[in-house]
Amino acid sequence: MLDATLNFKLLEMCGRCGACFSICPSCVNIPGYDPRAVIKDILAGNHEKWLTSRHIWECLECHHCLEICFQHYGFENAMTSMRTLAAKKGIHPAQVKRGWDMLVKTSRLGEPAMPARKKLGLPEPKATGSEEFRKLYELLKKRRLEEHQADKSGE
Amino acid sequence: MKEFAVFWGCTIQTRFPFIEKSTRIVLDSFKLPYRDIDGFTCCPEKSLVNNIDHGAFVMTAARNVALVDEKNYDLVSPCTGCVSNLATVQSELKVNPREKDEVNSLLKEVGREFKGTAKLQHLIPFFHDAVGVHAIKQKMKRDFTGMKIALHYGCHMIRPSHALKNDDPLNPKKFDNLIRAMGAESLQYMTKMMCCGQGLDRVDEHDMALHFARVKLRELKALGADAMVLCCPSCFLQFDNNQFLMEKEGEKFGIPVIYYTELLGLSMGFTAEELGMTSHRVDCAPFIKKWEGLPAPRGLCKHL
Repeated sequence: MLDATLNFKLLEMCGRCGACFSICPSCVNIPGYDPRAVIKDILAGNHEKWLTSRHIWECLECHHCLEICFQHYGFENAMTSMRTLAAKKGIHPAQVKRGWDMLVKTSRLGEPAMPARKKLGLPEPKATGSEEFRKLYELLKKRRLEEHQADKSGE
Repeated sequence: MKEFAVFWGCTIQTRFPFIEKSTRIVLDSFKLPYRDIDGFTCCPEKSLVNNIDHGAFVMTAARNVALVDEKNYDLVSPCTGCVSNLATVQSELKVNPREKDEVNSLLKEVGREFKGTAKLQHLIPFFHDAVGVHAIKQKMKRDFTGMKIALHYGCHMIRPSHALKNDDPLNPKKFDNLIRAMGAESLQYMTKMMCCGQGLDRVDEHDMALHFARVKLRELKALGADAMVLCCPSCFLQFDNNQFLMEKEGEKFGIPVIYYTELLGLSMGFTAEELGMTSHRVDCAPFIKKWEGLPAPRGLCKHL
């Protein structure tokens, strides 16, 4: 599963380097947050224990690690893959699920604040593409299902 | 100048319509060819959508970019997150033809096509590169000489650099240039490039989000900053709203948090009320009072 989204060769270098540790704001400020430990376990095949850890959600995706990395890879790829894996198993912060549900339903993460807009003299907000978005998302899911079934029958 | 669509994003329109107000005031004053277009959705927010479903992340962003491509516009956003997400997907699809074909075979079903031709820019690099410091100075009625401003860039204005390609990702200069052009001192401080930490509020870690805000605000208070200036609604939420919450608990910082378009609007002669600054949770009045009380001449910009 993780080998589909991660480059283990680059991760092995990450395990030995750690140049991004001192520039990562979460590493500096959050006690116990250390993606190097997660990467070590991913490489050893022991990543499961991190799926329930809050630490995998504490990567701020600030891309500092990516920019300083001589491989242009960084901690964040490992943390993103772990979060995706956890979310697939239904393990995620409650707010993440709420946000996702709202996006799928409305195509946005909130509705324009109409009374405040009126007070400020702002124009009517433009129409959203929510209908088209929902249609595309349904199509995406359908295609994935078909691909999955084709893979299964090919096995 | 090529016409451009403004991508307001969910956070500004939902929580901070006054940011839209000051942005429109500034865009109108410079007579910039901006357009509001139908059909945008959430950009989508990377930390939420990409973590759950990369395919949906790519499809949603590609569709938004396709709307701009179709009209042969460029895109400018006052939200760092929106630009960063859209540009990340645009650059991913540009180097991955197979993924681009897959996305386009989906978009074709609704009559759209991602081409990736639109230039996607955040408001700050746009003002720096396309409007230019000289034109900005021409419009200013008063400068900010004597004011100490602490810039907060916002990670996604400049990173990931392979997608945004607009400034040095670790030591950016453009926002500083814009502030200095207005005569203010751009404070160089230890935590200047530290992430705001607002993302922690989105994963149910409010106390840790407050800790991140506290680290920066404490330093700014010690340095005597007159204001923090930024250009990202998520960072604004972190430093205005969360500072207000900490002050309610008894921790005093007193650092007004000002959007770049508000600062520019003030310098052009608009009032705090007109710019919607009275809607901030941390009072901007001390900043304005100090600025207005500075000894004359504050200098017309042509003398800067």
